[in-house]
Amino acid sequence: MKPLLRSFTMFVGQVFKDTMLIAVCIATVFTAFFIRFGIPSIETLLCDSMGKAVILADYYLLFDLLLALVTPYMLCYASAMMMLVEYDENIAGYLTVTPVGKKGYILSRLVFPTVIAYIVSIALLSWFSLTPWPILNIFLTCLLTSIAGISMALLLFSFSHNRVEGMAMAKLSGLLMLGLPVPFFVFSDIQYLFLPLPSFWIAKFCIGQDFIFLIPGFLSSLIWVFLLYRKFDKKIA
Amino acid sequence: MRINVLLIGDIRFQFKYGFYFLYLIFTILYIGLLFALPESWREQAAILMIFTDPAAMGLFFMGAIVLFEKGERVLDSLAISPVRPIEYVVSKLLSIAIISTVVGLLIGLGSGIITNPLLFIIGVFLGSCLFSAIGLLIASNITTLNQFIVATIPAEIIINVPAIAYIFGLKPSLMIVHPGVCIIELCQNGDKALPATFILILWTILSVLLTHRVVTGSLHSLGGVKP
Repeated sequence: MKPLLRSFTMFVGQVFKDTMLIAVCIATVFTAFFIRFGIPSIETLLCDSMGKAVILADYYLLFDLLLALVTPYMLCYASAMMMLVEYDENIAGYLTVTPVGKKGYILSRLVFPTVIAYIVSIALLSWFSLTPWPILNIFLTCLLTSIAGISMALLLFSFSHNRVEGMAMAKLSGLLMLGLPVPFFVFSDIQYLFLPLPSFWIAKFCIGQDFIFLIPGFLSSLIWVFLLYRKFDKKIA
Repeated sequence: MRINVLLIGDIRFQFKYGFYFLYLIFTILYIGLLFALPESWREQAAILMIFTDPAAMGLFFMGAIVLFEKGERVLDSLAISPVRPIEYVVSKLLSIAIISTVVGLLIGLGSGIITNPLLFIIGVFLGSCLFSAIGLLIASNITTLNQFIVATIPAEIIINVPAIAYIFGLKPSLMIVHPGVCIIELCQNGDKALPATFILILWTILSVLLTHRVVTGSLHSLGGVKP
């Protein structure tokens, strides 16, 4: 446990030294404030200027879901970029043969940041959401978005050979979020083209408040993590 | 001649590391998304997409490119080669501006929002050079990618916020001196497109000169090489 904690402390120290974690924390809180207070103000302005009763209000739940997803995405992104730098500098390989071990490396770089992201996203969604959320739904949705964050970090790290490819992959991994707005805008069966994306099932679950959608949500998330983890595991071996 | 070789090298680098593939996917995706939006939103949404993504590509990727070159000792080699810093800067800016302009043009044509192709091309091209110059300026003085990402946030806010406000209708006449607003004005073929062209050229020249100065200092400091 001691080497593990030391590895995690080293990781947090590096991220803090880079000011990245601070920026990520500020960005998530800023996003939360923007969604909670900015979006309703923009809605009022838009409704006044366009003479309509409702424009954005129908999509407040979508903004809440974005808030739930953004926190794990940002924290896992910072973690994945740090892992990529460590891989570039061969630190990752060295750490896996120290008492930290491969498991310790994965726990300190992937699991701990995700757990932190899970707690932070629960807090932000509880305090800054635009729509009423049952507490159980907050816990379940944030769990799914945190697993989605792990998928993004695994995708970014596994398919990049260096920092340049990492940035390109970071942009591409944003596509995993694309499933979120689909059930809000596409009502025909075409929406099921997005069924491999966990974000699609997260949105379906929250719109319908139907727990049945949690099954494909968890299944698709775990399939993504399982498939990407195999590549990740080979890379750090 | 040297600049041609540098330019081809940079384009090959961007092709090898997936920039072209990435933006092929994003172009198709953006055009698809634009057609999913209500027609009245399409022009504003397309301009917003072009301004914040292909045009701003340099600001996003320059840190990774420069840090990769630093790690591979490319800059050390350049510092002792006959390549002049201005050639290095221009090559970086042009190579990214080419892909930005092509992607911007494809999104613009695909969504049918271009009314004056020449002004549109000038807007995206100069905008890309401006963003890339700022990216290169920041990248010259950082050591890690995370530092670069954090350092670009103020630049992004300063350029993006007034320009996005302009897209959504906040249009006092003085805003035309802002470089981001000039890019929007040119892409939209607005009433002030002519002064916007000159102002944007001035901003681009200014940013290139500033970047050249910083890159020169950075290259000269490598390996103890002095001017």
